[in-house]
Amino acid sequence: MSLQNRTLRAGTYLGLAVLAGATLFPLLWVTSIALMRAPEAAAGTPSLWPHHPTLVNVINIISRQHLGRYFFNSLVVAIATMALSMLVAGSAGYGLARVEFRGRRMVSWLVMLGVLIPNQALVLPLFEMFRTVHLVNHYAALVLPAAANPVGIVLVQAYMRAIPADILDAARIDGASEWRIYRSIVVPLMAPMLAAVGVLIFVVSWNDFMWPMIAMQQESMQTLPVALAAIDREHYQDIGLMAAGATMTMLPMVFVFLASQRYYLRSVIAGSLTD
Amino acid sequence: MAALEIEHVEKTLRSGQSVLRDVSFTARDGELLAVVGPSGCGKSTLLRLVAGLDSITAGVIRIGGRTVNEVPPQQRDVAMVFQNHALYPHMTVYENLAFGLRVRGTPRTQIDRRVRQTAAQLGLEAMLKRYPRELSGGQRQRTALGRAMLRNPALFLLDEPLSSLDVPLRAELRRELAALHRSLGTTMVYVTHDQSEALSLGQRMVVLAGGRVQQIDTPINVYHRPANRFVAGFVGWPPMNFLTAESFDDGARVPAGASGLEYGVRPESFSTQAGGPDDLQLAGRIERIESQGSECHIELTQRFGRVLARLRCEKLPRVGEQIRLWVRRSDLHAFDRTNGQRVELMGLERSGPRPEERTQ
Ligand SMILES: Nc1ncnc2c1ncn2[C@@H]1O[C@H](COP(=O)(O)OP(=O)(O)OP(=O)(O)O)[C@@H](O)[C@H]1O
Ligand SMILES: [Mg+2]
Repeated sequence: MSLQNRTLRAGTYLGLAVLAGATLFPLLWVTSIALMRAPEAAAGTPSLWPHHPTLVNVINIISRQHLGRYFFNSLVVAIATMALSMLVAGSAGYGLARVEFRGRRMVSWLVMLGVLIPNQALVLPLFEMFRTVHLVNHYAALVLPAAANPVGIVLVQAYMRAIPADILDAARIDGASEWRIYRSIVVPLMAPMLAAVGVLIFVVSWNDFMWPMIAMQQESMQTLPVALAAIDREHYQDIGLMAAGATMTMLPMVFVFLASQRYYLRSVIAGSLTD
Repeated sequence: MAALEIEHVEKTLRSGQSVLRDVSFTARDGELLAVVGPSGCGKSTLLRLVAGLDSITAGVIRIGGRTVNEVPPQQRDVAMVFQNHALYPHMTVYENLAFGLRVRGTPRTQIDRRVRQTAAQLGLEAMLKRYPRELSGGQRQRTALGRAMLRNPALFLLDEPLSSLDVPLRAELRRELAALHRSLGTTMVYVTHDQSEALSLGQRMVVLAGGRVQQIDTPINVYHRPANRFVAGFVGWPPMNFLTAESFDDGARVPAGASGLEYGVRPESFSTQAGGPDDLQLAGRIERIESQGSECHIELTQRFGRVLARLRCEKLPRVGEQIRLWVRRSDLHAFDRTNGQRVELMGLERSGPRPEERTQ
C-alpha cells in the first residue's frame, strides 16, 4: 500500500470515528444518567459517568409506571408491523417490478404518490375509518395502516428491477412454477433489501407518536413513546427516571440493528452475470 | 429428442416494432443448427419464442411434432443457455445444476448421481461448492451448460454461449460443445453473431437479418453459394469484395447476365498467376500489406474502388507498386443490383459443391 493510500485510509477511519462518537455520545450519556441516583442526575450538568451506579430508576419506572405493559404493546405492534410489511413489500414490490399485468404503471404511480403524502394528513380519515370498523384501541389500528408502507414497496420494486429477468426465465425453463420461483429465487435474492425494509419499518413503528396517541385512547393499549410522554408531563423533574425510560426505548433499536446488519450488508448479486 | 419446426412465425412488439417477419425453418431431429446474424436481428427473440418465454404474434412452433404455441415454458421440455449465463447467484454450482431436477421432484440420490456425473463431464467436480461469483468466466459457462444438459431435454437452445470468453477458451469450448452434441445426440439450436462460429459448428446454418431468414443451408453451401448480397458480405472473413464489370481488365469478358449486376469475389479467390486462359484479370496499386503469418492481406486501390486479396506472402510487390491478380471465372458471384438476389451465371462450373451434394 502506498503512503498516499495509507494516509487516505487513516483519514477515512478518523472521519468515521468522529461520526460514530457523535452518534454514540448522547446514547451513552442518557444510559449513564439512567443509572444515577436522583441528586447526581439532577445536577445542572449531569456527569458523564455514574459514580454510584444503581438500578433504582429502572426498577421504579417498571414497577410504578407499568412500563413493561407499554414496552410489550410497542413490541407486539412493531414486530407485527414489520412482519406484515415485509410480506406486503416483498410481494407487491416483486409484482410491480417483474410481473406483467394491466394497469401496472398506474398502480406503481399510486404507490409512489403514497410515499409523498405526509402521515399527518392521513390521521383524521384513518381515525374515522377505524372507528367505523370498531378497531380503535386494537393493535390492528396501529399495525394495518403501517404494514402497507409504500416506502418498503418502492424500495423492493427498485431492487427487483436490478435483478436480471433472465434469472427468473432460467428458472421457468428449469420447470419451476411461479410460486416456486418466488419462494426459491426471488425471496432469497431480495432478502438483503427485505431485511433493510424490515428494520426501517420496525424503527418507524417503534418511534411513531402521533397516530398511536390518537388511535390508542385506552391507557393499557398505549405504546412506549406515548406513555413516556405522559410520564414526562407528570415527573419532569425526575431526570433519572426519564433517562431510564428513554434507555429502555432505545435498547430494542440497538438490538435490532446489531442482529440484522449482516443481512443487509451482504450483496448476493455479484457474479451472477458475465459483466 | 425432437425436431423443431418453425412456420411463418412473426413477432411484433407492443410498441409496434416488428422483430421477426415470416420466419420459417426446421431443425431436424438430432441436428446442430446454427442461427447467425448481426446484433439486433432478432436471434435472442427467436430463442425466447421457442422456449415460450415470449408469445408469438403469428405462426406455428412445433417441438417433436407437438404444437407448443400455447404451452408454457415449464412444459416445453427445452433447455436454454442464456447469453449472460443467468446462473442463480445465491446457489452453489451444485444447487444450480440440481435445481431443475429438484423442481421436478427427482429422488435425491438420483439427483446427486446425475449432478456429479455431469460435473465430471464438464470438469466442474472441484467447483461444486462454489458460488457463481467465485467462478471464472469459463467455469460459469460450463455451469450454465451443465444446468441445461442435466435435464436431458428434447431440445437445446444456446444463445451466444461463448461470446463472453476469450479466444482460446472459446475455441476449446466450441470443440467440447461439438463433442457434447455428438455424444448426446440432442437437437441443438445454436445462436451466434459470429459467422465463423456458425460455419465451424453448425451442420446447417440459418442466416438471419432484419428479422427475416436470408438463407438456410449447410455452411459449405452458404459460403459458396450465398443467396443474396447480404449473406455474401456477412459470411466469410475477410468479407467478399463487391466489384463492377469495369473493375476487370477486359470487362467484356465478364460473364454477363441481365443488365445491372454486381460481382462478388472472395479475397482468397485471387491469385498472382493465371490459372487458365479463361481467367479474369484486374490490376491495382498496393495500398497496404498486412501479414497474418502464413499469408498476407493485400489492399489495393483501383479507379473503381478498393479490393482486398488474401495471398501467400512470398514474392509480393511492395506497397505503392502495381499488382496484377487473376480470378477463375467460376469463382465469380453475381448479384442483382436492384434486389441483391444471387444470379446464376450461365455456363459456369462452380467450384463449390452444388446444393444436391449437401454434406449432411
Ligand atoms: N423487451 C424489448 N423491448 C423493446 N425492444 C426489444 C425487446 N426485446 C428485443 N427488442 C428489440 O428487438 C430486436 C431484436 O432483439 P434481439 O435481442 O432478439 O437481438 P439479437 O439478435 O439477439 O441481438 P444480439 O446479437 O445483440 O444479442 C432489437 O431491435 C431490439 O431492440
Ligand atoms: Mg441476443
